[in-house]
Amino acid sequence: MLLSIQNLTVRYGQETALSITEPLQVEEGDRIGVIGSNGAGKTTLIKSILGLTPYQGMIKTRLRPEEMAVHMQFNEYTDAMPVKYIMEAILGTRIAGNARLQELISYFEFEDCLRKKYTKLSGGQKQRFTIILVMMQNAELTFYDEVTSGLDFETRQKLVEKLTEWYRDKPASLVIVSHYYEELEMLADKLLILDKGKVIDYGRKEDLFRKYCGRAVIVTDNCERNRSFLEKYKKLASPAHLLAAACETQEQEEQVSRLLLQNNVNYKRSNSDIEMIYINARASRAGEEESK
Amino acid sequence: MRNRKRLITAQMLSFEFRNVIGNPYIHIFGVGMPVFMMILICRSVAAEMAESTLYASMATSVFLGMGAMIPMATVLMGYGISHAQELEKGIPQRMELFGIMPGVSMCNRILAEGIFMLLAFGIYFAAGYGVIGVEYPRISGLLIYIFCMVVFSAMMFCLAHGIASLIRRFGLTYCVTMILYFVFMILGGMMGISYDKMPGIMQLFARMLPVTYINRDFYTVWKGESYNFMPMIQSFLLLGAVTGILLFITVRRGERKLH
Repeated sequence: MLLSIQNLTVRYGQETALSITEPLQVEEGDRIGVIGSNGAGKTTLIKSILGLTPYQGMIKTRLRPEEMAVHMQFNEYTDAMPVKYIMEAILGTRIAGNARLQELISYFEFEDCLRKKYTKLSGGQKQRFTIILVMMQNAELTFYDEVTSGLDFETRQKLVEKLTEWYRDKPASLVIVSHYYEELEMLADKLLILDKGKVIDYGRKEDLFRKYCGRAVIVTDNCERNRSFLEKYKKLASPAHLLAAACETQEQEEQVSRLLLQNNVNYKRSNSDIEMIYINARASRAGEEESK
Repeated sequence: MRNRKRLITAQMLSFEFRNVIGNPYIHIFGVGMPVFMMILICRSVAAEMAESTLYASMATSVFLGMGAMIPMATVLMGYGISHAQELEKGIPQRMELFGIMPGVSMCNRILAEGIFMLLAFGIYFAAGYGVIGVEYPRISGLLIYIFCMVVFSAMMFCLAHGIASLIRRFGLTYCVTMILYFVFMILGGMMGISYDKMPGIMQLFARMLPVTYINRDFYTVWKGESYNFMPMIQSFLLLGAVTGILLFITVRRGERKLH
């Protein structure tokens, strides 16, 4: 076990920003995606683990905070010099004499940016700069807090592909906070779902999908025609413009697919849709609270 | 990362030095202004003076006093506003998250500030001897002057770090350090009103500042003449205590707390 959290509470004034009552563990090699709307407590959780914010409760780890690496949501550096010198100072090495660093710079296509000052870098270049520094830390546990926020689709996709490729077959444990579910599909194998400072659920993606969505889910546009086709099937909570049918068995899935194909209806089938997990986990928690 | 184990590294020192010279204020107020003020005052007084021996002592006295502007501008103002700006942007925390502990940053910064001040004093001395004809010191006088400047600079560093860490805002820190810079200059007698002509209350505060003794009395020390160091030492001890306590409080306050 790399890290465990027990009875964690973080308060900002009178407001409870985070309250984790059930024990939560991070195992070595875990890739945990943290999801939740704004104010859910995602960044607060990272800050607590890193010792950046006061909390009550217990966070147990054999790692010291400085042995964990983190890409914060906002990363700023001095603008008094080109980023090359910042990089060399932070890493305590010269770029010219460090093959691993050169490899990373080349991997993230950052060579042409080294002579620029930080404020002159584009959003994507800024993110890549911090990612290179974070990766060079070679930490056992690395946090990425909304690493692609504010980037355009293409840059975001390219960056996540690079991250996925880099960490493939590496033993590092990752905690990735993101609002983009497709990124977590690529990077995470576990999910921590937070809502209003509380843990809704935590577990492997597949297990959570099965728990909240069933075997598979078929999603179509939410229109009168499609609603009539899927009338007799169990519906899942979904965004207002979509209609999601839960399929508990392969036969049921084939039946729904056939029906939609016969009627020339576009649909998406998934057995790992994180958005559906998130929406239905929240809906389930809301239902539980209402019944109480 | 390799630099975790070493307090001073070439890369960190180079980084901090670039940080120091990247601040335009210190070139204006820490290098240009002391040289300009020293030359301006000496030239204007020289025009009214007939006796060349008196001119030399006056010029040397002005030179020694104005020298205190260098640590006040480069360290108190320069480092203060630069550190506040970094704190405002969260840069020290970002560095700490990369494993660069605040103590490491501070040590390299102190060294970088020291190197810059050495260069600034080099220019200042060159201007002093080349343009206004400063008198040569006794070795003891020179050594005491260097010692006083080093101690005064260290106190200015503590003060700047403390103010910036408490305020954590560029604009307000700039305002506070600028006010202190001018208050020190006024009370030190560098802005036209000598200590003897100050009202009583001003003299009371002026007596508490080392800069007063550096500006008023250092010519005597420079020439190796007999001097009662006690008031000057007391002023250094008072300022040292105030700035040391301020630094201690702010460093403790900014520590990353583990639970």
